[in-house]
Amino acid sequence: MDSEDAERTGRADGRSRRAYLAAVGSVGATALAGCTGDTGGGATPTETATDGTVTGTPTPTEASLSGTLTVATYPSWVESDGAAGPWLKEQFEAEYPDATVEYVTPDSAINYFIRRKQQGAPIDADAYVGLNVDQLLRVDSELDEPLFAGIGGELSNGDAVRDGLRFDPQERAVPYDTGYIALVFDESAVDRPGTFDDLTEGAWADSLIVQNAQSSATGRAFLLWTVKQFGADGYLDYWRDLDANGITVLGSWDDAYNAYSEGEKPMVVSYSTDQVYANRYDQDMTRHQVAFLNNQGYANPEGMALFADSEKRALATEFMDFMLTAEAQGEIAVRNVQFPAIPAEQANLPEEFARYAKIPEEPVTFTYEELKGNLDGWIEDWAREIAQG
Amino acid sequence: MAGSRTGRERSRRAERVALPLAGLATAALLVVMLYYPVGTVLVEAVTRDGAPSLAPLLDVLRDPFYVGALAGAVRDPAGVPAGVVAWVATSVADVLTALAAVPGAVLAPDRSGLDALAAAWATFVGVFPPFGLFGFTAWQALLSTLASLALGLPGAYVLARFEFPGRRTLQSLTAVPFVLPSIMVAVGFVAAFGTNGPLNDLLRALGLPTVDLLFSLEIIVLAHAFYNAPLVTRVVAAAWESVDARAVETARSLGASPLRAFRDVVAPQLAPAVATGALLTFIFTFMSFPIVLALGGLKLATVEVWLYDRVQQLALTEAAALAVLETIVSLGLTYAYLRYEDAASRGDRVASPLEREPLVGLDAKRLALVGYALVVGLVFVLPLVSMLVASVTGPNGLTTRYYDFLLQREATAATSQTKPGVAVRNSLLFGAGTLALSVPMGLVLALASLREGVASRLVGVAAMAPFAVSGVVVGLGMLQGLVFGVDVFGTRLAVGGPVAIVAAHAVGAYPFVVRNVSPLLGGLDRRLVESARALGATRVRALVDIEVPLVMPGIAAGAAFAFAISIGEFDSTVILAEGSNAYTMPVAVERFLTDRTLGPATAMGSVLLVVTAASFVVIDRAGGRYRE
Repeated sequence: MDSEDAERTGRADGRSRRAYLAAVGSVGATALAGCTGDTGGGATPTETATDGTVTGTPTPTEASLSGTLTVATYPSWVESDGAAGPWLKEQFEAEYPDATVEYVTPDSAINYFIRRKQQGAPIDADAYVGLNVDQLLRVDSELDEPLFAGIGGELSNGDAVRDGLRFDPQERAVPYDTGYIALVFDESAVDRPGTFDDLTEGAWADSLIVQNAQSSATGRAFLLWTVKQFGADGYLDYWRDLDANGITVLGSWDDAYNAYSEGEKPMVVSYSTDQVYANRYDQDMTRHQVAFLNNQGYANPEGMALFADSEKRALATEFMDFMLTAEAQGEIAVRNVQFPAIPAEQANLPEEFARYAKIPEEPVTFTYEELKGNLDGWIEDWAREIAQG
Repeated sequence: MAGSRTGRERSRRAERVALPLAGLATAALLVVMLYYPVGTVLVEAVTRDGAPSLAPLLDVLRDPFYVGALAGAVRDPAGVPAGVVAWVATSVADVLTALAAVPGAVLAPDRSGLDALAAAWATFVGVFPPFGLFGFTAWQALLSTLASLALGLPGAYVLARFEFPGRRTLQSLTAVPFVLPSIMVAVGFVAAFGTNGPLNDLLRALGLPTVDLLFSLEIIVLAHAFYNAPLVTRVVAAAWESVDARAVETARSLGASPLRAFRDVVAPQLAPAVATGALLTFIFTFMSFPIVLALGGLKLATVEVWLYDRVQQLALTEAAALAVLETIVSLGLTYAYLRYEDAASRGDRVASPLEREPLVGLDAKRLALVGYALVVGLVFVLPLVSMLVASVTGPNGLTTRYYDFLLQREATAATSQTKPGVAVRNSLLFGAGTLALSVPMGLVLALASLREGVASRLVGVAAMAPFAVSGVVVGLGMLQGLVFGVDVFGTRLAVGGPVAIVAAHAVGAYPFVVRNVSPLLGGLDRRLVESARALGATRVRALVDIEVPLVMPGIAAGAAFAFAISIGEFDSTVILAEGSNAYTMPVAVERFLTDRTLGPATAMGSVLLVVTAASFVVIDRAGGRYRE
């Protein structure tokens, strides 16, 4: 409680502190403070951020916590029904009345900023929400100058993030939620597949819709899952078997899920939180069964990062910290239909969530280092294999 | 008196400079909104390590994945690969055998006829050339073009030659498919033609075998025909309406049968329009991309699928090389076509339209039209209705939830959220602006390409550039060429927002005006203009008073297309609208798509469909007033 509250009081006036407590709830704040307290000692992240001697950032004062924070993100963060973005904006602005959060959603996502940097155009944004490991790899392979600043160590709530989710060795991207790729199937039409090999058997012939790994994040995650399973030398053989058994590879999650919903095929690659949506609208769960192959699910953590050129470092840090509070973590998970980045028991989640959001026994994922230099080749070899078929 | 004479002088002077000025303005607009931005991307295709080089293009041409058997030809130009020769020989034999079976199959009264037809079709579709990704892309574009002609030409016949209640409205509505976002068409097609769709339900009810259309080349061809057959219909109907009736009457009075008169008099006048429709369809479907992945899948990928992926990976050199090759194919075809148009459309004629026949009646011709109407109902009406139904259907049956979402968003949108009403208003405003800008642009370029010869044909080819460049590349070019801006004397000049969007739309739309107007303009009696000029009329005066009224059907058709292009445009709009509230309906559809539910996007797509349909009726009514 102490370090957390001392820091908050130092930065915000009484009114906004009350707003903060109202928003976060003291239970969550206590839990988080306890958590950050554990890592105390020496140059803790908190101290670094507060006295500013290490990184040379301005001391967060009343003035530096005002103004407009421009957050770049993907459209559904802002636009979807009950999106997390507007809720966060409202809560954050209630706590920091002098600050305004503005979202921008460039169509080409992270490439927009990579090209800006390459062309010497101003970045015009402070933080990025919705960064995944493939995008980070592209940033690093395309740019020599830093696009993002290292910030992970400066977040007072940063230590709460589950270790398995951290995907940036340089701590620029800080995970705020994660999802697991799994199969969604119709149990009235097909048996529950248990393993990858099942999918190449007659009982599951001509049953599965996957997404094009070139253009869809879901499809890419499923492809990587097969690489994880069969190795870089074996995954194409597996896909040849899969293809021989009959699969449909469509362009995007929308294309695939639409075809699945219309009953074209009884299985589709999607998210393990499928039932959360189904439950929200009282749907029959028969068509929303979730299968983890080999008891695994491919984890796809999403991160946030601070643009290196931002002049709002203190405000951005505060915003990112805010996204990791217990209250925000619960809300983001529910609204984004993903899992929180902090341990579930610390996030304020409704009881129903645990019932319908399925977690695989063994989450798997590739690290930044493992993907580096390999990702594009794996995808291209796969795409050529399928397109030649 | 003196004052009015000076006024007249001044207006004559204005008229004299009007055309050159309009030409300059058009050229400037093209440079800023197309050639410069696209050039910033395509230059990568002809440079390596900063020096001019053909290596990126050759790399693609040497890759069997992209060009199949031709890769050998590029590596070793002397030896034509034996595989190509073998393919030509066997596939010609296969197709001929299949075609030979067709007449018998059509006449056979029982199921065996259907089966024989299906077998012939499968042979034909299966013969695609062993030229890699480019070969398959061209093949599906060719099939799509044939299908669009087959579906579109009877429509032109009905609309141009018959009179019936609602004809004008029907004609207006033919532009609707053209503007629909691919996700809407995918939703409509999966619902209409899927395993559990109404088509298969009907077949089952009739005791017929069901069809497995989805995720096949056939469904892609059908979806391409859905987009492009209406285009063929509109272009050809416009030409048919300006056929000189007196020539037909003369032929008939000289003893020609109706068929003979059609063949010798009408058909030659329609041929350029039919070729225009075919050319545009081929170019559009050659560069087709999201609909291919939505309905066919990666196994039926086109070049544009790969190009998009390369852009996503920021592998811009390979992307640029692919785009340049696509553009060479499109512009090469355009050049070939313009040579043909030159030869075909030179004539001295004045339009005096044919009389329309009443549609009601009973004869073989009209029975065939009933059959055609059924096909139209299946290919066009069923998917469109399915789209609308999808927007009011949730997982548990009928729902207004998705429209409630739109209304609620309209009422309570937070900052940076998209408001449906703003999208509708922007789309209509930009559409009107595009129409106003692209019609004069198109007229100027049609005039510039009017003369015979290589130079004017090259102008004609350059005028088609907006259609011949990949939309993905145009988008990227606008981003780095315009939106990011350039430093000029220490100030950063960037282009974006509503004005830029209208300019970009006009650049994307004027080729339609050119293509609809050029053949008619080329067919006019030049002596009319020459006489007017001899009598002292300026070129502009002659254009406005003589040529424009005579080619009005083409202008009206082009204008409607220009509006349609503006409403449907996505690639550059989404980029130029970034950071402002200048988003349009297709952009809103895209933004309402999430990896969770299609509902709000289909509702927004249905709004787009209805708003567009209504505005086409209004535009064609307004355009039609000039026509009659």
